[in-house]
Formats: sequence, C-alpha cells, structure tokens
Amino acid sequence: MSTLLTYISVNDGKIKRSSLEVLSRCNELAEQHNLISAAIIIDKDAAGLAKQLKAYGPSVIYIIEDPVFKNHLNTPLIRALSLAIEKINPNILAFASTEGSKDILGALSANRGAASLSDVSEFELTDTGVKAKRPVMASKIISAVEANDSLVLITVRSGSYDAVEHPADSKIEEIPFTIDDIDLKMILKEIITASGDKIDLSEAETVIAAGRGVKDEEGRKLIDELASVLNAGIGASRALTEAGVYDPSLQIGQTGKVVSPQLYIGIGISGAIQHVAGMANSKVIVAINKDPDAPIFDIADYGIVGDLYKILPPFIEELKKIKSN
Amino acid sequence: MKIYVCIKQVPDVNAPLQIKDGALIQDADRNILNAYDASAVEAALVLQEKHGGEIEVVLIGNDKARETIRKALAMGADSGVFIQEQIDTLYDSYSYASLLAAFFKDKEYDYIFCGKQSQDTDAGLTGSMLAELLGLPFVTNAVWLEYSGNSLTVKRQGDTGQEVIELPSPGLVTCSNDMNDPRIPNLKGIMQSKRKPVETISVNELGADRLAVKTTILGYEEKPAREPGKKYEGEPDEIARQVARLLDEAENVI
Ligand SMILES: Cc1cc2nc3c(=O)[nH]c(=O)nc-3n(C[C@H](O)[C@H](O)[C@H](O)COP(=O)(O)OP(=O)(O)OC[C@H]3O[C@@H](n4cnc5c(N)ncnc54)[C@H](O)[C@@H]3O)c2cc1C
Ligand SMILES: Nc1ncnc2c1ncn2[C@@H]1O[C@H](COP(=O)(O)O)[C@@H](O)[C@H]1O
Repeated sequence: MSTLLTYISVNDGKIKRSSLEVLSRCNELAEQHNLISAAIIIDKDAAGLAKQLKAYGPSVIYIIEDPVFKNHLNTPLIRALSLAIEKINPNILAFASTEGSKDILGALSANRGAASLSDVSEFELTDTGVKAKRPVMASKIISAVEANDSLVLITVRSGSYDAVEHPADSKIEEIPFTIDDIDLKMILKEIITASGDKIDLSEAETVIAAGRGVKDEEGRKLIDELASVLNAGIGASRALTEAGVYDPSLQIGQTGKVVSPQLYIGIGISGAIQHVAGMANSKVIVAINKDPDAPIFDIADYGIVGDLYKILPPFIEELKKIKSN
Repeated sequence: MKIYVCIKQVPDVNAPLQIKDGALIQDADRNILNAYDASAVEAALVLQEKHGGEIEVVLIGNDKARETIRKALAMGADSGVFIQEQIDTLYDSYSYASLLAAFFKDKEYDYIFCGKQSQDTDAGLTGSMLAELLGLPFVTNAVWLEYSGNSLTVKRQGDTGQEVIELPSPGLVTCSNDMNDPRIPNLKGIMQSKRKPVETISVNELGADRLAVKTTILGYEEKPAREPGKKYEGEPDEIARQVARLLDEAENVI
C-alpha cells in the first residue's frame, strides 16, 4: 500500500501548527483512498517530538535524529529526506510551506527526479498523481495544476487546512543517518534572531500590520500597545522592513510571509497587491488609512478612514474596556 | 570573479488580466525583468564594483524575451546568453532548470545567481533544482552578501531569523528583492548595452531533455471574492470605538 508522507517542521523545539494542518489533510486523504499516512521528524530531538505527534495520529512516525539538525542547513536535510524517500518510497511528500521547506524543495525534487508543486492552497489525489491549486500573479488568481509522477513533493500554505486531533498509537521507526563534515560544503556561521518577535506570525490568531503611515516612535508605540492588548503578532509592509523599522522576518506578502489569522488589522498600509498576497486569507480584515481611496479598503471588512494617530488611542482604549469585561 | 545571473522575463502582475474559459489573457506587451532577478543582477554589479570580474546573464525565452537581456546589460552586466525556447512546450521550473544545467555543464564560474522565485508564479524552484543538478552548494532567499576574496558570506532570511552562511565557490545563490534596490539603467548604460555581446543558442543545441516537464497547468480560476465591507468615516473617536465593539460583538474576534 502506498504512503502519504508528511514532513513535520519544528521551530524552537516545537512542532509547527502548519505542518499539523498538512498532516491532517494527508490523514484525510489516506482514509478516503485507503492509503497509509505517515510522518517524518528530522531533528536533534526527534524521538521526544514523535511522542507528541501521536495526538495527530499518522500510522507511522519516522524519525531521523542527529545533532546536525539543530539548525536549518539544506545539505543534511536534503540528504536525510532523500534517504527517507528511498526507504519509505512514498507517493507524496508534503510539507508546510516555510522558508525551511522552500529552501530544499527544488533541490530534493531534482535529486529524486520527482515532480514538485510549491505553495499550494489545496491538493487532492488523482489516479496518477496530484491535482492542486496555487495562487499566482501575486495571488490575484488561482491556477489549477497537475503533477503525474510516482513521487510528488508539495508545500502547502499555512491556514489551508485545519489541524485535526486524531490520537492513535502510531508506530515509531528510526532511520539510521550519518553525515560527514566533508559533505557540508557550506558553513552556518551564525543565526541572527530578531529580538521580541515571540509570536510566530504565520500561526498567529491576530495580526497587527504596520505600514509606511506609521512614521515615528509614537506610531510604533501605538502598534505595540494594540498588539499587547490583543495578544497579537506584529507584522509590517515592505515599506517598513526595507526602511529597517521592523525586522525583515516580519514582512507580510509575496516576498514575506503568508498569514491567515482570525483578525488582521492593517495600519497605514495602502494595500499593494504584493502585500495583499500575504494576508488576503485573513478571516476578518480591518484597515486604518487616511486615504479613503486606498486599495486596502476594497478588501477590508471594516475600513476606518482616518489618521492612525487619532484613531488608535480611542480604539485601543475601547478594546481594553472590552477585554477587561 | 565570474558570475552568471539567470534572468527571466515575466508578465507584469500589475497589468490588468482576464480569465476566459480557464485561459489567462494578459497584455502581451507588458513583460518585465523578474524583480527578484533584477536584485540578483544588482547584487552581482555591487560585487563587481568592489572585486572586479565579469557578469554574464543567461535567459531562456522566446524571441520577445530577448529585450530583457538588454535591460540587464543596460544595468551594467557585461554580456548575455539568449537560449531560444521552442514555443510548442509549456515549460515548468523543472524544464528550465534542466536546460540551464545543460548550459552550465561545461562552463566555468565562481557563482551562479538566480532570483528566489518568478514574480508571476512564485514557484521558487528553479534555483535550487539547478544547484542540485550541477552538484553545487547553494543558499536560497538571500537578503545580503559579501565577498571575502575566496568565498561569499550570505545572509538568508530563514524561519526564525537570518542565517549567516559561508558559501565556497563554485556555488549558487537565489536572491530576494529585500537584498537591494536595483538600479534603473541610465542613458549611457542603455547606449552601451547595444554594443555588448549576446550569444544566441537554440534549445536543441543544448542537447538537454526538452521535455523534462513535470507539472501541467490545467487552467486558471478567479479567486473566491470577498464580500465588500463597510467604510467608517467621521469623528475618529466615534468610529474607532464603534469598530472595536463590532469586532467583539459581531465578529467575536477580540
Ligand atoms: C516583487 C515584489 C514583491 C513585494 N513583496 C512585498 C511584500 O512581501 N510585502 C509588502 O508589504 N510589500 C511588498 N512589495 C512592495 C509593495 O508593492 C508596496 O510597495 C508596499 O507594500 C507598500 O507598503 P505600504 O503600504 O506600507 O506603503 P505605501 O504604499 O506608501 O502606503 C502607505 C499608506 O499609509 C497611509 N497613511 C499615511 N499616513 C497615514 C496616517 N497618519 N494615518 C493613516 N494612514 C496613513 C497612506 O494613505 C498610504 O495608503 C513587493 C513589491 C514587489 C515588486
Ligand atoms: N527562462 C528562464 N531563463 C533564465 N532563468 C530562469 C528562467 N526561469 C527561471 N529562471 C531562474 O529561476 C528563478 C525563478 O525560479 P521559479 O520561481 O522556479 O520560476 C528566476 O528568478 C531565474 O533566476
């Protein structure tokens, strides 16, 4: 029987929710098509994480454990996945779309001679492979695509499916792995982490996004205050990441991250298509902009026309009141 | 130092588009140099200004795409290679990577730069496919780089921060547009670009597997439309409080 294999992304020792979403979709497809849903964890502490993963019930959890996986580095990851593919021989290897999986997808696909579909928002199985939907043209439209191959690699946008608990007594199986230092042609010298961004934007329930309209320290304070009242992740438009006001890892959009929160509040953001590409799937969109013709109002559920410096103080005050009740 | 930059012509996503019977209808005249590739060219130019060397751009495309090579030459690249595509095949990233690999097979270089993705499809596959096919170490999503005299130090934007990586030569880098602001060609650059050499090669000459196509586009669809929302205008204090209450009472998202 053939296998649908989900790669479980780990950040800071925690399983990323977006990969549970992908696993849940594969569980569902496996049930419909009478296939095996399996997962693979490649990490320095893979065994510990595997126990947690049983709550999401793949039939088998493969683990590859090695200190080299402490930080993301593409060569060992490609090597490990290639080994896993040889051993498991899956029909599908699905990933949550992250900077880590995007880094290796193409190379792994070339390494295995397999088809790959990146950043899909929906996928299903056909008799001969996979059919999927992908947002294209800066997410203005959707393309329907197909890959017919004995192995198809896919990365899935966060928020495309729900993560559904499904406890099972999954079998845990370790795949032996070694890598020589010589194989690591490149060297990871350092990781520069942004201070303070504790909430993972791509998984946040509430996102506050700041744009060029947020001009100074005072504006940033208002953003911080609003975010803390709502326990929200802070993101930014390219205008502010480019200017160095916010860390580049906070950029939302085509170049930056895709977010799909319950509530997105865009503040001083015009709504360029490349920004919208990263937030259009938010459930409720609020925009605060002084220009009544700003394009963001075309997609906002609640469009507040006004100066953010005048709107935010009473807005924050009212939210505090609601929260304290 | 020899740097090759792989560049692509893409439709301008800002141009109006239409879907008719599942087909995408775009203005055939609104094509541009992929923004991420413009950043790759810019990055190569900055390295060249500091460390010397030579920059050659490579583009696979149909006859119309040739003009995009001129754009890169006008920015300052030294020469170009135009790999003329058969128009009867719908190429995907896999086929472009296979063709590029066939081209690079017997070339010598220090680094190959690509864009991190095509602006129209956001696939983001070709660069690392090419690296794997050529057996090169690679860094994707680069936001900064520097050359030390024998290796590149590259910062890539990762999931939790910026990963600083030392990449020996030969190697491959895919560039984000967060790396720089690509220069706009000036008149002198445009004049000079006309005298710069562009070699033309046909896809058949490369002897690559022309049909290395792994994915097929079945058609295009509109995105599910969002219900147009409501605009609140007037006294700031009032509308701010009103929306805050609605987010709680009507939407239950507070
Ligand atoms: C290939 C490519 C990829 C890109 N990727 C991204 C991406 O990932 N993310 C991204 O964000 N952008 C991206 N961009 C850039 C994008 O096109 C826009 O330039 C950018 O989103 C603009 O940011 P902004 O809305 O903050 O600034 P602007 O467009 O300058 O808008 C500022 C807005 O603030 C309003 N404003 C000003 N003052 C106030 C005030 N006091 N109160 C209220 N409102 C005020 C103005 O009315 C205006 O609407 C990309 C571009 C390209 C070409
Ligand atoms: N036709 C092409 N000619 C030259 N380079 C290309 C071509 N197609 C893709 N590339 C390179 O691959 C990158 C995009 O990859 P992808 O997103 O997979 O289409 C571009 O930024 C280019 O550097």
